[in-house]
Amino acid sequence: MTDRQYQQFHFTGRGGEYFRIWIVNVCLSIVTLGIYSAWAKVRRNQYFYRHTLVAGASFDYHGDPKVILKGRAIAFLMFAAYSVVSQFNPAAGVAIFALIMLAMPWLLVRSLRFRLHNTSYRALRFAFHGETGQAYVNLLLWPLLSFLTLGLLWPMAQQRIARYTRDNSAYGDVSFRFEVGVGEYYRVYLMAILIVIANFAAALSVAILLADSGLMPAGVERTALIGAIAGLGMYVGIFVFVYPYVAARMQNLVWNNTSLADHRFVANVKASGLLVIMLGNLLLIVFTLGFYKPFADIRLARYRIEHLNLLAYDSLDQFVAGMQSRTSAAGEEMADMFDFDVAL
Amino acid sequence: MPVTAVYFDGQQARRHEVMLSLDGDVLLLQGDAVERRVSLSALKIPPPLGNTPRLILFADGARCEIADNQGFAAMLPHAAASWLSGMENSWLYAMAALLLTLVLAAVAYLWGLPYAAREVADRLPDYVLVQMDNQFFASLDQTLLKPTALAPDRRQALGERLQGMSLPPGGVRPNRIEFRGSPGLGANAFALPGGSVVVLDQLVDLADNDEEVIAVLAHEMGHVSQRHAMRQMLQASVIGLAMAWYIGDVSSLLAAAPTALLQTRYSRDLERTADAFAADMLRINGIPVSRLADMLRKLEASHRPDATKTEKAELMIDYLSTHPNTEERIKSLRGR
Ligand SMILES: [Zn+2]
Repeated sequence: MTDRQYQQFHFTGRGGEYFRIWIVNVCLSIVTLGIYSAWAKVRRNQYFYRHTLVAGASFDYHGDPKVILKGRAIAFLMFAAYSVVSQFNPAAGVAIFALIMLAMPWLLVRSLRFRLHNTSYRALRFAFHGETGQAYVNLLLWPLLSFLTLGLLWPMAQQRIARYTRDNSAYGDVSFRFEVGVGEYYRVYLMAILIVIANFAAALSVAILLADSGLMPAGVERTALIGAIAGLGMYVGIFVFVYPYVAARMQNLVWNNTSLADHRFVANVKASGLLVIMLGNLLLIVFTLGFYKPFADIRLARYRIEHLNLLAYDSLDQFVAGMQSRTSAAGEEMADMFDFDVAL
Repeated sequence: MPVTAVYFDGQQARRHEVMLSLDGDVLLLQGDAVERRVSLSALKIPPPLGNTPRLILFADGARCEIADNQGFAAMLPHAAASWLSGMENSWLYAMAALLLTLVLAAVAYLWGLPYAAREVADRLPDYVLVQMDNQFFASLDQTLLKPTALAPDRRQALGERLQGMSLPPGGVRPNRIEFRGSPGLGANAFALPGGSVVVLDQLVDLADNDEEVIAVLAHEMGHVSQRHAMRQMLQASVIGLAMAWYIGDVSSLLAAAPTALLQTRYSRDLERTADAFAADMLRINGIPVSRLADMLRKLEASHRPDATKTEKAELMIDYLSTHPNTEERIKSLRGR
């Protein structure tokens, strides 16, 4: 145990620096009618990966822009066909969407493979070895079951998704391990429900107080008024308290139970910190008509990355290169286009 | 000047601290447990990317990471920058790129998009349009619209009168003309993207005679003939997609608001075109053009009291009645 040492993850990217890279690449993408966007994506990923450091080395991204462009073209054509068809014939649009949902686990596996195989640290690649059949069980069946049970099984589904993606990810020739029971997941959501209940009670009391205070316009029905104020209070409360709480606890839960050989991870993201950043980002993006986006990306990345530690056991020298397989970018681009994502 | 770096051999994760130096065209790498001499032409040295560590990539998968960017640039000046990294590092280029992006976005929004929408709308086959309007009627009839309370012979008379009228050049008859009631929308008429026209009972009630109803229908036929609603819808969906893509990472909720702001109503130009079409059509058929102007005035008066209520419906209807420039349009019609 004495050999364990904390290695904090560092993020050295800066808002102004990234803004220049971002705007130049956005401009080039527009001028080339979107073709350059594949190169821009590689550059963006490289910027974030190379600015992420731990234990005296940085990460890197190796995606081939030409491969990404091909994937993007396929994804764009599919998406355009889907939007056009659903515009003119909603029924057919729904059918196509169902088909795409059915293909989602397959797409996600390809997306994870592409992303991890093209990520390196200390000149060794990461890898994803998950099987498609298992992806259907973990990424489609479990979420579906949780939907059918009105969310009762959602924590369970989340645990299965995290276990599937982590256990099948590898650095060099060593697999990540994810070990945590479903109980921990339920504990997070139980706490979230308690916050929702407290939030509801608070919103309702404020609504009743306001409705009886005589400050409200006359002639509005009392129940409707209370309902409206309490509803608004719930909406704000969920955004301000519940969402950051769950997001922070989930990131910590997942990382704190992930290990790589004898090395472990420690995440200590705080709901309050996340809230300040997300709220600030949202407001600034709205007020700057979107041009704050690169600064926002940097702030969020810095917060998430700098609250992660590697608890290294001895040195990291023993890792050796693993087997590499062929990957294509179509799955990743499709998943991107339709907004599927698995958090890693 | 030797430069410090870290070296990884690509086989093992071991971190070697090394010194880099140049010997003519050969890179010398010396450090703990490693020594390499490699000709520069056999190495890949990616151009700088912001302030990220500089890299040297070896053909066998090994790599060097150099945190000392300035020292590295001094050692290998010809690998110091590319045109791209030069632009990315300069605030001047960044501002120029920002300006160009804004200008291009404005040009695309003001001219490119309307042009593309017109080209696409003109090429859509009829069965697609018919199919689309069927869908619209199916959903509108469940939500905003109710069956008409108008007597069947009144409807038939209006339909037949319109059918018997001749069209100005380039005119197209609507696929369907449907009468509906709608307490929420008030007196109104609007063209659907597929080229059907919906007339609301309140509009017929508001009119003093059939000619006034015909005048409004002629205006709607102006929209139908040039596929205004379809063009508008295509533009709105492209803007919606672009917004969703751009803002997507932040929140899809946010994407809805700006889209609603940007798509809104027919442009003043489209209304003027539809008015001109209506004026031509009325004149050809011996109906005074003033009928449309009269009707516009009445519609405006009927909508003023509950202007906020109709705002909800404004996303899908023809803004004929609530159009801010009614006065100007009436004047120009009087002049015809
Ligand atoms: Zn109009």
